Amino acid sequence: MDFVTSLFPWITNGPLIVVQVMSGLSVAMFLFLVSVGMSLIFGVTRIVNLAHGSFYMVGAYLMVTLAEMLPDHPLAFWLALLVAPLGVGLLGGVIEVTLLRRIYHREPLLQLILTFGLILVIGTLVLLVWGPDNKSVARPEALAGSVKILGQPFPSYYLLVLALAPIVAVGLWVIFYRTRWGMLIRAATVDREMLGALGVDVATLYTQVFVFGSLLAGFGGALSAPTVAVALGMDGDVLTTAFVVVVIGGLGSFAGSFVSALLVGELQSFGILVFPAVSIVLLFAIMAVVLIVRPWGLLGHPEE
Amino acid sequence: MRVARWLVAIAILLILPPLLPSFLVVVMTEIAIVALFATAFNLLMGFGGMVSFGHAAYFALGAYAAAILVKQAAWPMLLGLAAAPFAAAAGALFFGFFIVRLTHTYFAMLSLAFAQIVFTVVFKWKALTGGDDGLLNVWPPAWLKSPLAYCYFTLVVVGLAMLALHAIVDSPFGYALRAIRENPRRARFIGVNVRRHQLQAFVLSGFFSGLAGGLFAFFNGSVFPDFAYLNKSFEPLVVALLGGVQSFFGPLAGAVGFKILETYIARQWPIYWPLFLGAAVVFVVVALPQGFVGLLQRRAWRTRTAR
Amino acid sequence: MADPDGSLVLQVVGLRKHFGGVQAVNGVDLAVAEGELRAIIGPNGAGKTTLFNLISGDLAYDSGQIYFRGEEINGLPPPELCRRGLARTFQITSIFRRLSTLENVQTALLTHHRRHHNLFRPARRLYRDEAMVLLDRVGLVDQAPKPSGILPHGDQRRLELALALASEPQLLMLDEPTAGMAPRERHEIMALAAGIATDARLTIVFTEHDMDVVFAVARRITVLHQGAVLAEGTPLEVRGHPEVQRVYLGQRRGTAR
Ligand SMILES: Nc1ncnc2c1ncn2[C@@H]1O[C@H](COP(=O)(O)OP(=O)(O)OP(=O)(O)O)[C@@H](O)[C@H]1O
Ligand SMILES: [Mg+2]
Repeated sequence: MDFVTSLFPWITNGPLIVVQVMSGLSVAMFLFLVSVGMSLIFGVTRIVNLAHGSFYMVGAYLMVTLAEMLPDHPLAFWLALLVAPLGVGLLGGVIEVTLLRRIYHREPLLQLILTFGLILVIGTLVLLVWGPDNKSVARPEALAGSVKILGQPFPSYYLLVLALAPIVAVGLWVIFYRTRWGMLIRAATVDREMLGALGVDVATLYTQVFVFGSLLAGFGGALSAPTVAVALGMDGDVLTTAFVVVVIGGLGSFAGSFVSALLVGELQSFGILVFPAVSIVLLFAIMAVVLIVRPWGLLGHPEE
Repeated sequence: MRVARWLVAIAILLILPPLLPSFLVVVMTEIAIVALFATAFNLLMGFGGMVSFGHAAYFALGAYAAAILVKQAAWPMLLGLAAAPFAAAAGALFFGFFIVRLTHTYFAMLSLAFAQIVFTVVFKWKALTGGDDGLLNVWPPAWLKSPLAYCYFTLVVVGLAMLALHAIVDSPFGYALRAIRENPRRARFIGVNVRRHQLQAFVLSGFFSGLAGGLFAFFNGSVFPDFAYLNKSFEPLVVALLGGVQSFFGPLAGAVGFKILETYIARQWPIYWPLFLGAAVVFVVVALPQGFVGLLQRRAWRTRTAR
Repeated sequence: MADPDGSLVLQVVGLRKHFGGVQAVNGVDLAVAEGELRAIIGPNGAGKTTLFNLISGDLAYDSGQIYFRGEEINGLPPPELCRRGLARTFQITSIFRRLSTLENVQTALLTHHRRHHNLFRPARRLYRDEAMVLLDRVGLVDQAPKPSGILPHGDQRRLELALALASEPQLLMLDEPTAGMAPRERHEIMALAAGIATDARLTIVFTEHDMDVVFAVARRITVLHQGAVLAEGTPLEVRGHPEVQRVYLGQRRGTAR
């Protein structure tokens, strides 16, 4: 025990651990928002959307613009938080209708390559529109400070994120498991042939799903904007982590994304305390192990 | 007739460099290296039907092996360069063993995951790799130091490597590899051990990617963790895709086009370069699945049959 | 229980395989002697293809034994079985579509002769003549340079037969070799296969839905129904078998296929 405490002095510091768990949870919330959309899109359309990190980034940048444009009013922040994801959803819709729709019948790898090309296009467009400098978004006044949790300071904005998390999770659960639309999505994920049999307009469903997935990513980006420096490299960072989350949880699995986002969020939060140098390697190593042992992920289904 | 064409091509490559302005000699050297990297990559993608999203790992293993051996172990440059492909092949054997167990999207993702691991290790292992600062002053010896000399050297090495790759594609091994691409199940039933064959192809591809990395280390005079990053992994993909993955020389043509465009566009408007690249990739995927070379071939075929 | 008999090319004992709730192969016993031309018939979904997949190592089975030329081949992968002399074709044509017809057969010959690890000899010139001989046998010489994917359906099936023959098998398993062909061509291709079998002294097990074809070439017939053997015998015996008439022949007359 002495040995352990000498290595990890924080281990006996209960309050620090609690705060660390909580910040891990809020990281998990952002990860869940991007990865569930990515996973959803894969489940239905079988496309791994590599541009999903870019959508997240656009959500954050839209937040920057909206914060500048909207009048200084207590409700402005909340309005922006609502509008920014809609903008990203629109972007996703345009991309789906003009580009992706043409290649659903082609090899999966071409689809991956196409969405990779989109990373570059979107990245440059963001650079042209918003410029190279980092941006920041002010937190709403009520949430600007921090609160004490067991004597440890904790930013109050993260409390909002933590409060939203169960709402989002339950909301998505209701959509997936209690609506006809959600039933169609789950049916499509398990067996695409079935959709035709149910008489569903597949093209429209694909568009809806892509828009919805983009919207979730945009929401993640918008919500995270006040917690980070909004910068050009966000797309790649978010993509790689979301990618790990999705693969570990299982492409196409809603519950998988949830569990895996929690796991990865906490891992990142504690990884920084435990092995600051190699926490990313650890993440990718876990992903590699999952891919080798269960390529379809912890909670996904094997492809026929 | 074919021999004559080859002789003309070789003669042009021999005569051209001294006539070019020196910055174009540098561009030409880089084209040769990128062409080798993309052709090695395309052995997997075009002929084996396996798309790796992490080939930068093998390029970087080659580059770092050469740089480390020359800088830290004081090996002569030629030995360091010779070790590069073997280091990369060893990495490809280890990672490939797991990667070829998967197919399609999962194959691509696991290859990417391993490349990220290589990137992170290179980035963090400061003592060996210099971390973020890279390893500097990895120059070839005096007799190869001039851009012209290194250009000739690269042309010879790349030429030989391309010959070997061309032979591999046309060999019994290459035939079986194409058969696997077309129909892995049928391939099993004519007696091919599919995974083992794919792993062999993966190692060969890693070998030549590592050679390209080694050449690039001495061309660049330094190595950086970027060599293992995602963008580097996509370079051969984009180049092969632009040139056409169905033909052996597609990636070579793609490399020429890619580097010339990069030289002019990226120099004039560096901001627009990724936009252009991304738009080109999107355009090729949506409109030209055969790449530009494929487009030309189809034209030629049509005019021939029309006559 | 099983006493593998050396004169049997193929012996299957109590073979079972289920998919979820479906018992696709339900305790099949089968014995095929050397030189036989054995038909396996049965209504759609009887388990014929599944039985083929189990024997050829494409699927793992739940229980039972398979002996090939007296040796148990439990769990051997297809390439190994191919080397030991077991070749097959598929119900849905399975060839290398973007390779030329000639390259298809050359590749099969190269692997059969274990040359496929050779990295530096040009393959174009290897086993060319042997490949042409095989193509001649199945009537595809004129199609040799064409990409196999653009051949007419019947020719693709012939090519697949040539691919299977390239490994000089002792046992050839053909899963509905005439599927999707016109009646005249069906007789042609089965006669071809039967002729090759006699020449090369190889054993053929095939499935087929066209009863005319079956009765024309098969010397013994096994009837499969719901994953189990319902009857076995000469064409005459099978035709007269009351159970077979009831569940299979009678029912088939009413169906369109
Ligand atoms: N991979 C599989 N997964 C689930 N069920 C399967 C699978 N393959 C076959 N089956 C089921 O097993 C049963 C036997 O199928 P099989 O294809 O062997 O029949 P068959 O006799 O070849 O039929 P046909 O004459 O139509 O070719 C069928 O009920 C089929 O639905
Ligand atoms: Mg069948």
